[in-house]
Amino acid sequence: MLTFRPKSPAFRQLHAPENANGKSGRDETRVDWIGPICILLLSVMGVFFIYSAQAFMGSDYWTRQILWIVVGSVAYFIIARIDYKIFFENAQWVYLASLFLLLLLWTPLGEVRFDARRWIDLVFFSFQPSEGAKIGTLVLAATVLARSELSSIRESFALLLKVFIIVLIPILLIFWQPDLGSVLIFPPMIFSLLYVSKLSERFFLVVFAAFALGVGVVGSDIYRYHVFLQEHNLSAYDHRGAYEAQSWVPLRDYQRNRILAFVAPEIIDPKGISVSWNYRQSVQAVGTGGWSGKGWTMGTQAKLGYLPRSVAHNDFIFSVLAEELGFIGGVLVIGLFGVILGNGLRIAGLARDRFGMLLAVGVTVVFLVHIFINIGMTIGLMPITGLPLPFLSYGGSFILSCFILQGLVQSVYRHRREFS
Amino acid sequence: MSKVFIADWRYLLLVSGLLFGFSLVLGRVAYLHVWKAEELAGIAEQNRKSIQVLAARRGNILDSRGNILAATRPLIEVGIDPKVFREEDAKKLPELARLLNVPEETLREKARRRTRRGTAHPQDIRLVRWVKIADAIDDATYRAVRDLGIRGVYGNRYYERNYPAGDLAAHVVGYIGYIDDPSEAEPVLRPLLGVERFMDFYLRGQDGWREMERDGRRRELAQYRRELRPTDGLNVELTLDMVVQSIVETEIERLVAEYSPQGISVIVSDPHDGRVRALANYPSFDPNRFHRSEVSHLRNRAVGDIFEPGSTFKIVPAAAALNEGIVALDDQFDCSVDAVEYRGRTIRMPRDVTPNGRLDFREVVIKSSNRGAALLGMRLGESRLHDYSRAFGFGSRTGWGPGAESPGILPPVREWDGLTISRMPMGHAISATPLQLHQAMGVVSNGGVLMEPLIVNRVLDHESSPLLEFAPRAIRRVLRDDTAAVMTEILNAAASPGGTASLAYIPGYEVAGKTGTTQKIVDGRYSNDYHIASFSGFFPASKPRLAITVVVDEPEIPGTAYGGRVAAPAFRNIAEQLIQYFSIPPTASREETPIALWESNR
Repeated sequence: MLTFRPKSPAFRQLHAPENANGKSGRDETRVDWIGPICILLLSVMGVFFIYSAQAFMGSDYWTRQILWIVVGSVAYFIIARIDYKIFFENAQWVYLASLFLLLLLWTPLGEVRFDARRWIDLVFFSFQPSEGAKIGTLVLAATVLARSELSSIRESFALLLKVFIIVLIPILLIFWQPDLGSVLIFPPMIFSLLYVSKLSERFFLVVFAAFALGVGVVGSDIYRYHVFLQEHNLSAYDHRGAYEAQSWVPLRDYQRNRILAFVAPEIIDPKGISVSWNYRQSVQAVGTGGWSGKGWTMGTQAKLGYLPRSVAHNDFIFSVLAEELGFIGGVLVIGLFGVILGNGLRIAGLARDRFGMLLAVGVTVVFLVHIFINIGMTIGLMPITGLPLPFLSYGGSFILSCFILQGLVQSVYRHRREFS
Repeated sequence: MSKVFIADWRYLLLVSGLLFGFSLVLGRVAYLHVWKAEELAGIAEQNRKSIQVLAARRGNILDSRGNILAATRPLIEVGIDPKVFREEDAKKLPELARLLNVPEETLREKARRRTRRGTAHPQDIRLVRWVKIADAIDDATYRAVRDLGIRGVYGNRYYERNYPAGDLAAHVVGYIGYIDDPSEAEPVLRPLLGVERFMDFYLRGQDGWREMERDGRRRELAQYRRELRPTDGLNVELTLDMVVQSIVETEIERLVAEYSPQGISVIVSDPHDGRVRALANYPSFDPNRFHRSEVSHLRNRAVGDIFEPGSTFKIVPAAAALNEGIVALDDQFDCSVDAVEYRGRTIRMPRDVTPNGRLDFREVVIKSSNRGAALLGMRLGESRLHDYSRAFGFGSRTGWGPGAESPGILPPVREWDGLTISRMPMGHAISATPLQLHQAMGVVSNGGVLMEPLIVNRVLDHESSPLLEFAPRAIRRVLRDDTAAVMTEILNAAASPGGTASLAYIPGYEVAGKTGTTQKIVDGRYSNDYHIASFSGFFPASKPRLAITVVVDEPEIPGTAYGGRVAAPAFRNIAEQLIQYFSIPPTASREETPIALWESNR
């Protein structure tokens, strides 16, 4: 099964500089090992299960994944070496660069796939600039919140407005693509930054109320959608677009279908063959794993295409893993993520400056959202959204951004002493 | 650990939120993996597996000489998948049209129509993946079609039940058809009548199955197949003889042309073993197209319809009285009296067609005197008359294998009214099927033993070697053999010049038989206009080879449709042809007749 392979390129990338440079800096030897070991384990598992998810088709995605892991490791090492305070000083440039990449989508470089403008095509590879926007926004928001103390809402109104605008621009641009899944990352990230910046409880009560209101609005919209389908005798799968044209709630019908498939699969799709297909097949894949799974590449749900082939290796990689490694594998993965997140919070606590702390918290929350939403959807705790699972899911720019974000956390750990 | 930048409780809340999320996920994973694993594995397997039934080929039904009455032929329905059809194959379409005998234009249209409207949601556009272009294509044609090599043109094999003899023996062979079964989603093919139903257990064989795994797009995966080959059904050989059957049906056609009756039943059997050589009814049907026939035509009237047998039934009281020894052959019966005292009551006697004076026992039967029969009945008394009727097989099913048989009506003595004792002997107040009548006559021809009618000879395996043979079965001895012999001679006289059945007479072949003319009951009264003419007989009297019963319902004929006039000639026509077919030699005249023996034994 899974073996720790010290000769893997990722590992070497991670350790080569240290061997080369020896004791070059004061705190160079102070490295957090917990995070990178977990990351490495998860990345190796990811390669194996991307292979397994596509074993039937025999594609080479797993080799490309290795390449991206190598690239990501290099980025991780570089980011980890750089003192994160560079980002504090140049936050606006990082942010503007990420926005610039986002805007490139609407140039001829932008590529439209499945009605969505999410990819920038650079001939050799393509990437999703929304990943960069995640990093840029986190860095700038953390910088702004680190520069000045937050007090009451009234006194810090200008500051809050600034943070709000910083977040709103990428959200709107990403929403425009459209990529609702990626949008979902931003609010938790920013609220967690505000939260640890000691913004008053009242603010969060209001946010919570607004969230509840939003859920209510979406809920009633979904209900009207269901009634609309019934009245006009339309099938949820074949008539996507019929309802969204007349609703003022900015959701697409396929998103409504996903929510309906989560809330009431028996009603919207009693036979389980259209809109609730992915949801049902994924839950079945996980369940059939049992205690110890069917064994690597022995899972049937992905191999026979019950888990749609287009998503098994990215969004539904956890289902593939849980089917083939069972409960033990599932717990292992969740445990590794738990360690990474806990480690992130620990480093946030160790940080000696507000910026470092905010960075570590922000990264941890971004990961938390990814992990919770992705695993949640594969096990039927969440509606289906297109959020990938860090380090396991296939995807170039996503892998890269995960390594960069974790690199920031490592940097916070390594350079924490320079403030004291 | 210093937490300068975060308040302790905020940090705690963050950590607990994290822990909560993780325990939720872990809990759910444990729930799915551990508690729901089996259930979900079952669902997933069910999704994957699909069972295809491999239909067994139904066995053939043959006549006693091996002619095929019902066969199963494999056919192919050919269709086209417009999605994989290539335009460069379009030039082959004219040849395909010629092979399949369908218009080329239709083919073109079907090959190019790639979408259709959804059935549940007419607004939906669905891909057409296979559309039928021709049905009932045989193997050779299908091979030729495949040789054309048009992509997307392929067929599905199915079996079709085919009755090569058409309506010949349709009521015996029966048919299979689709009926609604509450336990199945679609109508299922079931045997519905005749031997098809009776012998279904042997004919149907054992369906096989193929277990397949399908992938997420419902495509079959070759490597996951398991299958059990079907066991084809066995062949069933009937006692029928197609030649006899066709002689009978030709005669029925003649009767229909001459008399336009409501119905006809003819039965031919071997009196000694009860093997039915022919059984035919009018109106009949073609089992290949049974669904286009009127329901009434599907009925096997010979076993399912009852009528009052009339004079043919007189053999029962006559034979009973002889068998009981309560009558001597020269006993005189005064058939001129209108009323008779019976057990203290005065009974009005039935009338004879032509008034008779004093008749001896033989003349009562030969002239078919109603009064004479009534007097015989009174000598027997209710209970013996009833018991003999029952012994002859009236009032109970004959044991006709394919079923749908009526037991007829023989009321128990306690339900008889005052007139029954005088009317039942002439075949009133009792109802029987033509087959019951035939079997009763069989008692006389078979030396007094009632046989069960036998329709299935053997069950044959696929190499035509017998697996199962059905032996003749005697139900009971009804008469002593000498009684039967005397009755035979009297019936021989009845079917000789001067008897009521003289038109059944064939010189040299000692035809024995009894006519019957039933007045149908119309509006609760015996009608003088509507009759059922019947004749039941056998030949040669001294060594019976064949028994034939002809029942004609409502022949259209001026005056009374006497059995002797309508049914007896039909008997003779059939018998004459059968004599040739079976090469039955004429009998030399005998010196010692059974009657002479009977007399000398007194």
